[in-house]
Amino acid sequence: MTTAMRTKKRSKHWAEKAAPYLLILPVVIYYAFFWLRPVVAVIIGSFTDPLTHSFTLNNFNMVFHEADFWPALSNTTIIVVISVTLEFFAALALALLINRKFWGSSYFLFLVIIPMALPPVAAAAMWQTGLTPHGWLNSLLLHLGILAEGHKIYWLGTYDVSKWQLLFVIILVDAWTTIPSVMIILLAGLQNLPKEAIEAGYVFGGDKLTVLRKITIPMLSSTIQTAVILRLIAAIQIWLIVVLLLGFGRLPVLVERIVYYHEEVPNLNISYQMATGYTVIVSLLVSIAAFFYLYVSGAFKKQEGSA
Amino acid sequence: MKMDRRTQRTLKKTAKQTVFYILLTGLVVGILTPVYFIITLSFLSTREAYKYPLPMTPAASMKFELKDGKRGYLYSVWDRVDKKYQSVLDTKDLEKVRVYFDAQLGVEITKKELQAQIDKFKNTGQPVYFTERRNLISNYQTFFSVTRDAVPALFRSLEIALITIVISLIIGGMAGYAFARYLFKGRDALKFSVLFVRMFPGVAIAIPMVIILANIGLYDQPLGLALIYSVGAIGLTVWITASIFLSIPISLEEAALVFGATKLQTFIRITLPLAFPGLAAASMYTFLGAWNETVAAIILTQFHPTFSVVVYQTLLGATGQVNLAAAGGIAMAIPAVFFTFFLRKYINQMWGGMSV
Repeated sequence: MTTAMRTKKRSKHWAEKAAPYLLILPVVIYYAFFWLRPVVAVIIGSFTDPLTHSFTLNNFNMVFHEADFWPALSNTTIIVVISVTLEFFAALALALLINRKFWGSSYFLFLVIIPMALPPVAAAAMWQTGLTPHGWLNSLLLHLGILAEGHKIYWLGTYDVSKWQLLFVIILVDAWTTIPSVMIILLAGLQNLPKEAIEAGYVFGGDKLTVLRKITIPMLSSTIQTAVILRLIAAIQIWLIVVLLLGFGRLPVLVERIVYYHEEVPNLNISYQMATGYTVIVSLLVSIAAFFYLYVSGAFKKQEGSA
Repeated sequence: MKMDRRTQRTLKKTAKQTVFYILLTGLVVGILTPVYFIITLSFLSTREAYKYPLPMTPAASMKFELKDGKRGYLYSVWDRVDKKYQSVLDTKDLEKVRVYFDAQLGVEITKKELQAQIDKFKNTGQPVYFTERRNLISNYQTFFSVTRDAVPALFRSLEIALITIVISLIIGGMAGYAFARYLFKGRDALKFSVLFVRMFPGVAIAIPMVIILANIGLYDQPLGLALIYSVGAIGLTVWITASIFLSIPISLEEAALVFGATKLQTFIRITLPLAFPGLAAASMYTFLGAWNETVAAIILTQFHPTFSVVVYQTLLGATGQVNLAAAGGIAMAIPAVFFTFFLRKYINQMWGGMSV
């Protein structure tokens, strides 16, 4: 009797120990099949010669020598650097501005959510119809009298437009779409800050700017890291708005190249190698950003007593 | 003197308030203007959608003028931009008029009604003026009837989202519970992996998945896409459900166990109902992710596109009419905006809940 009970107890103890692993096992299996397997496949594929099936660096060599590779890399870099910086400072300023009780604040937050709620294709539809020469933006400017009768602004340029104008427009459109979401993250962070610390700053004679610089921003730093790196990861993968406003090839960016080779010219004998090559490059960049994020956010650190 | 200072202070405060509200108004205008115009565009008639400048509001009705033409009767329509009647058709063929009114102007008029106006003209010999109500949703109807695949794609997108929700809730929810309730070896490594996979670019999985899915017969199938979407959705679900389960006091579960319930009973009777709002939020996020996703859907479908791919193709091709593209974009946006509003409370948990 007692032995039976003890075995039962022991098996229960064992079950208790195994429980979390059993609960997590499905995720591990799922990731192995649908994440690890394709990732390994694409990495191996990018180093494999399609004809001889032997190891080669030739695929990457081809990618690096494509006429659009360096423009794609530099355009992506410019968009990432400028738009993430711009969006961050604009969002921080807005978050600080509206971090107070004011009449209509809940309605305002309601409206602010709209741009982040829009699906990317819907946002693209909005700006595509707006930025064409006979689009709603020029029409509005004309109705307001800002634009003279019979004149149009070529927002997306003509054939000889400078790359910078296109980058500028893309960055602005991207800012419209993403500033609200960055702002919401920062606002949440601001609202979670202990008020006493900020009040103490004022009590000890700090002016607004000092308190902001020495107290608010440092205390907000983990939220800021979250917001910035998540934006970084998304910005590296920008492509849809670029393609839907400008078409393929006018302003090459990295993910646009993947879709271009996979969907637009799928039958070239280099298409698959190009697509996989670009895929590995994008994955690498995003992984670095993700690793960096997980590192600074403390996911590597052992957690004590959180369960 | 004292009074003065007080007025000064009030003045300063008012000025500050004014500047604040001006800024706020600017922001609201900046957010709403593009939204307003795409909605307007989706209600404009095809004829007006190609005018420059575009009318600033959709028309609820249209004014027509009917008089003698060279080949039949001359139909003119009031142009809101040019502020005059412009002739659009000169024909005896009533069917032609009906089709033109419907397709170009969004006005549904029967041949009988047209005949009545013609009779009126014959009786008086004077030009006849008449006003017709417009069918405001005509662009939406046309988008769904003209765009190949739009309706099946819509249902396919819903199907994909639902399958993704089921997969990620079951698999992710289990893991989320484990992270919330157990301390175990390898917990941090696993948590790290989940977060990392969540951030990994979807396009990077989609490209190699073409061949893998083709091998198991799931390429260009809703289930295939749902399997891919679940990779990201599981991570998100683990994240959200873990924080939900963590917020449910473990003492409640222990109490149920003391009263003789099994672990499973406790979970189903106590934990699950309490976790329901969080699970609903996770499902809505999963829905949004699957509904909005475009790049993997483009890569992994061929003849069975999702709704986002259909809208993408309308926007990409020069053939798509702008007012129809606008209607497609709005149709795409409505469920997304709807669910996001529901999720407002949880938005911060999305990325803020790092200390799971």
